[in-house]
Amino acid sequence: MDIATLVIVGLVIVVALTFDFTNGFHDTANAMATSIATGALKPKTAVIAAGTLNLVGAFLSTEVAKTISGGLINEEAVSIGAEFILAGLIGAILWNLITWLVGLPSSSSHALFGGLVGAVIIGAGVEGVNFGVVVSKILIPALVSPIVAGLAAFAACKLIFFIVRKMDEKQMIDGFRHGQTITACLVALSHGTNDAQKTMGIITLTLISTGLQTSGTGPQLWVVAVCGLAIALGTYMGGWRVIRTLGKGLTEITTPQGFAAEAASATTILVSSHLGFALSTTQVCSGSIIGSGLGKKGNEVSWATAARMLVTWLITFPCAGVIGAVACAITKFGMYGTIGLFIAFLLLALVIFRLSRRNPVTATNVNDSKDVRLNPIATQTNAAVGQAA
Amino acid sequence: MDVLMNFVVVLAVAVGVAGAIGVLYASGLRLWAAGTLDSAGNAHLGYRIVSVLCFSACVAIVLFALWLMIPVFH
Repeated sequence: MDIATLVIVGLVIVVALTFDFTNGFHDTANAMATSIATGALKPKTAVIAAGTLNLVGAFLSTEVAKTISGGLINEEAVSIGAEFILAGLIGAILWNLITWLVGLPSSSSHALFGGLVGAVIIGAGVEGVNFGVVVSKILIPALVSPIVAGLAAFAACKLIFFIVRKMDEKQMIDGFRHGQTITACLVALSHGTNDAQKTMGIITLTLISTGLQTSGTGPQLWVVAVCGLAIALGTYMGGWRVIRTLGKGLTEITTPQGFAAEAASATTILVSSHLGFALSTTQVCSGSIIGSGLGKKGNEVSWATAARMLVTWLITFPCAGVIGAVACAITKFGMYGTIGLFIAFLLLALVIFRLSRRNPVTATNVNDSKDVRLNPIATQTNAAVGQAA
Repeated sequence: MDVLMNFVVVLAVAVGVAGAIGVLYASGLRLWAAGTLDSAGNAHLGYRIVSVLCFSACVAIVLFALWLMIPVFH
């Protein structure tokens, strides 16, 4: 094996693990946003629980996908080489970081598929993409997921509030706190059993395609371990910006609503995946929170935030695709192009991280506001007024 | 047409199961609260028993969810 291939394989593994990290980082909110918002769990406790369950989940299910693209790319006609995977992963990571910066939940799977499709279009042509599958696996689920989960959460919420209407409020809030914790943990575990497998599959198929692993074998133990650790670490770091938007930005949530939302999310994810109609976890969880917000009389839902989320879901695939396409074009300059791409990727990630530090959202201030801003506007205005005075 | 049918099935099952979990857990809480000693010192054992049955059903649903989630079991 030549040195260039080894370098690319090494970069793919590093970038795949980084994707896994951002996947966990971005998706902590799915399981834990409502528990943190209602106070059912302390923020740090919530991310430790979610991180641990993601790690456990990674070991419980190592049935990795047989294809990298899930049918979106015609893998019989197009061989998905390491450079396509690298470009696709970079597209997905950068999109995950951009949406995290603005505090909007988006599907990591859709970003990954978008990045791969963009890379394949540049590297192998439009004919390599199955656009019918793009519609059935990306577009339709993006519209259907929030409706299914939202209606399930709405129904559960209405029934719950009807049954407990005569209960003492404190007793009710305390009672649902335990239920909410359990249902949130189920969502976190299901995330671990599903999402770490994407990266395991990518690394395993890359090792097989370069002859470093025998064809037909499953993921090696070290691959399972590092993927599990990467997603668990990402989850533990907590994408606090997305947690704030989901927990506080959409609607005001109480523990019965949080319980209804998490129960509806867990049910919808399990039912849809077992009926062969897999829906995005992020979109399911967001829909559940909206449904639970509508399920309580007098509660308001921020439709402006919900609309921003919907737009983000719809543009995730094409935007990650554009980044993946640009990345793939750069890899065409050979090994130096690939190394240059990796450096550019690191710099862009650093810029996004620096931008996030202008108005950081952390475990200590996650519940203090409803929205995520890039600049601390109110503080700046107050400071200016103070100086003028 | 298949997509629409899948959507309807997923919607019906998700609404049904999530609603059932909500009803069971909320009933369990309400009945448990109703089962406390009243001012005359009478215990409402019946409420408590039904409450425990509701919570047991919730536990069974959680265990079934774990069974579905973990491929080793099936």
